[in-house]
Amino acid sequence: MSDPLHFDPIQAMQEMAVFQRKLAAGMTQLRGVGEPEYANTPRELVYREDKLTVWHMRGEREPTAKTPVLIVYALVNTVWMTDLQPDRSLVRNLLAQGEDVYLIDWGYPDGADRWLTLDDYLNGYLDRCVDAVRTRHGLDAINLLGICQGGAFSLCYTALHPEKVRNLVTMVTPVDFRTPDNMLSHWVQGVDVDLFVDTMGNIPAALMNWVYLTLKPVRLLQQKYVNLVDILDKPVELENFLRMERWIFDSPDQAGEAFRQFIKDFYQGNKLVRGTLEIGGQPVDLGLITQPVLNIYAEQDHLVPPDASRALARHIGTTDYTELAFRGGHIGIYVSGRAQREVPPAIHQWLRERD
Amino acid sequence: MAEQAGEFFGNWQALARESWDAWLRKAQSAAGAPFGSSPAAGADDVFARSMSGLKAYMDWMQGAAAGAASPASAPDWSQSLRQMFEGAMGGGQPFAQAFGHAGPAAGGFAPAWQAMWEAARPGMPGAEPVAAFGHAREQQLQQQALAAAMMEYLETHARYQALIERAHAQGMERMQEKLAQLTAAGHPVETMKAMYDAWVDAAEDAYAEVALSDEFREVFGAMSNAQMRLRQLQQQQVEQWCREQGMPTRSEVASLGQRLQEVRRELRASRAEKAKASDGTSSALQAEVAALKRRIDALEGERQPAVATKAAKSPKATKTTSAKRRAAPAKTVARAAGPRTSKK
Repeated sequence: MSDPLHFDPIQAMQEMAVFQRKLAAGMTQLRGVGEPEYANTPRELVYREDKLTVWHMRGEREPTAKTPVLIVYALVNTVWMTDLQPDRSLVRNLLAQGEDVYLIDWGYPDGADRWLTLDDYLNGYLDRCVDAVRTRHGLDAINLLGICQGGAFSLCYTALHPEKVRNLVTMVTPVDFRTPDNMLSHWVQGVDVDLFVDTMGNIPAALMNWVYLTLKPVRLLQQKYVNLVDILDKPVELENFLRMERWIFDSPDQAGEAFRQFIKDFYQGNKLVRGTLEIGGQPVDLGLITQPVLNIYAEQDHLVPPDASRALARHIGTTDYTELAFRGGHIGIYVSGRAQREVPPAIHQWLRERD
Repeated sequence: MAEQAGEFFGNWQALARESWDAWLRKAQSAAGAPFGSSPAAGADDVFARSMSGLKAYMDWMQGAAAGAASPASAPDWSQSLRQMFEGAMGGGQPFAQAFGHAGPAAGGFAPAWQAMWEAARPGMPGAEPVAAFGHAREQQLQQQALAAAMMEYLETHARYQALIERAHAQGMERMQEKLAQLTAAGHPVETMKAMYDAWVDAAEDAYAEVALSDEFREVFGAMSNAQMRLRQLQQQQVEQWCREQGMPTRSEVASLGQRLQEVRRELRASRAEKAKASDGTSSALQAEVAALKRRIDALEGERQPAVATKAAKSPKATKTTSAKRRAAPAKTVARAAGPRTSKK
């Protein structure tokens, strides 16, 4: 067999020269580049409490949907992934379809929020956000669109307050937290969460990010930046890259008590599917959810494996259950070009049939 | 020929290194710390850490290119491959980078404690507990606990690093297999970038396998728990010092926050209860009013014919009405409803 390592020295030298040249040119591109902006779709503040804000998003046309949809994002990272940039915005695409969109920005918890529990988040904050939107529209119930951890919250909320939810959409939402391919869940099983939260208080965003990066350490800590060199001379791609970096690393700390309960009950106890979960002393029974449910998951999701999401079908009470598989990853489902074409129209079509 | 090429690459490497350093300096001066900074670390340090992945790749490229220029330096290609990655990448350097330089809140904890341990070791008690007594008894016990926790943490961290090294070694094996397959199929890897990408794929696959093992789960948990015990003991010492200096402690602030949150919850619950009670009363009143209206309407309907035979029927009709009114269910509700019904 011939030597697989036989490089042509001249070609190797050329490759290095090209790399060096790109790096040098990239310096010019990076100079003076400010913080990349998100899409900043026009919006109106409709409710504020402590650090959270509910925004009413404004499209270029009036909504045609009768029932508004409230986006419930995860506590980790910020909701602006749904409105990242003008041509990659779930929010803008939903508005363009005719949906009336609200979203919750949970804000950045600090020491004052250390003792917020899941009960405070779900039966407190989220319930009051839903009430604010219901009141504005004079409706008994609205649509919820829960994303990732926000999807799990939306499921719990719907089970606890069914009269306030008309239709439920979940995106890349973990339901069964103990599937064999769930690396995060695997790691956390041996962690003494009480000791962890008692020691750390709020969980620093830097620590959370570090854990996420170590799910694919070489790819996310090195290869990504090696590949960056190839786009240093492409201003648009570079700006997109830097915007994504902003979103990844500009993330909130986690309120200690809510984190404790989420890890213990969801990840370690897997109580959502075992039917033993309680929020604020009230049992959370997914079987009680009889609203129409659209469950969207990503086939290459390394944070929420498809099986973790698909488990919902086995536990939900509704007879109107729809699954939508997206070919992509946990982030690609919002920002890839295909996602823009496929996901918002599918959500709109499904909601319109039930409006 | 090979010698000439080796010399040429040696010069090239030096040039590349100078170029990298110059680039780094320019980038720092132009953009400060474009990827974020921490008050605890200088901008130079933060920037260098952010760019360390890129730097490692540069080093690797130089090493790989030098290897290409002198292919006879290792007896077989698999050994050359190993040297290529373990030399320039520093024995799984990207993994080390992932777990060793992520800042004080995360992986940087281990090197920081390692250094502190080395510095403090001469004055610290050993792992063996020693009976404590005397006026400094409490401090002795604290020191012993801290020393034990530090040793436990470093031991779990070493186990963790061993697993990372195992992942790296398995990644190399996977890569060799992949390269051999590609070459046998007539599709050899021809560029350094393609080689690097193949190595990343192999390393990540191997890492995923190790990271999903029971052993990794156990070690990850043990390391995390040991680190938290160590942090907690450290916090206790700092708090004790703060108390001695009359300064507020983290525990006190946390305690206040907890109480405040409890009061907020009670306040909200109380308001909700009040609103609910008010809603309930209002609904009950509305129901009462509606019921009474219906009765009045019915009575008025009965009274219409009575008007025609007024003289004979009126006393009886009055009695019946009085009896029906007495039958109103809730006294307080009926009283409150009274004026409204009469108005109507």
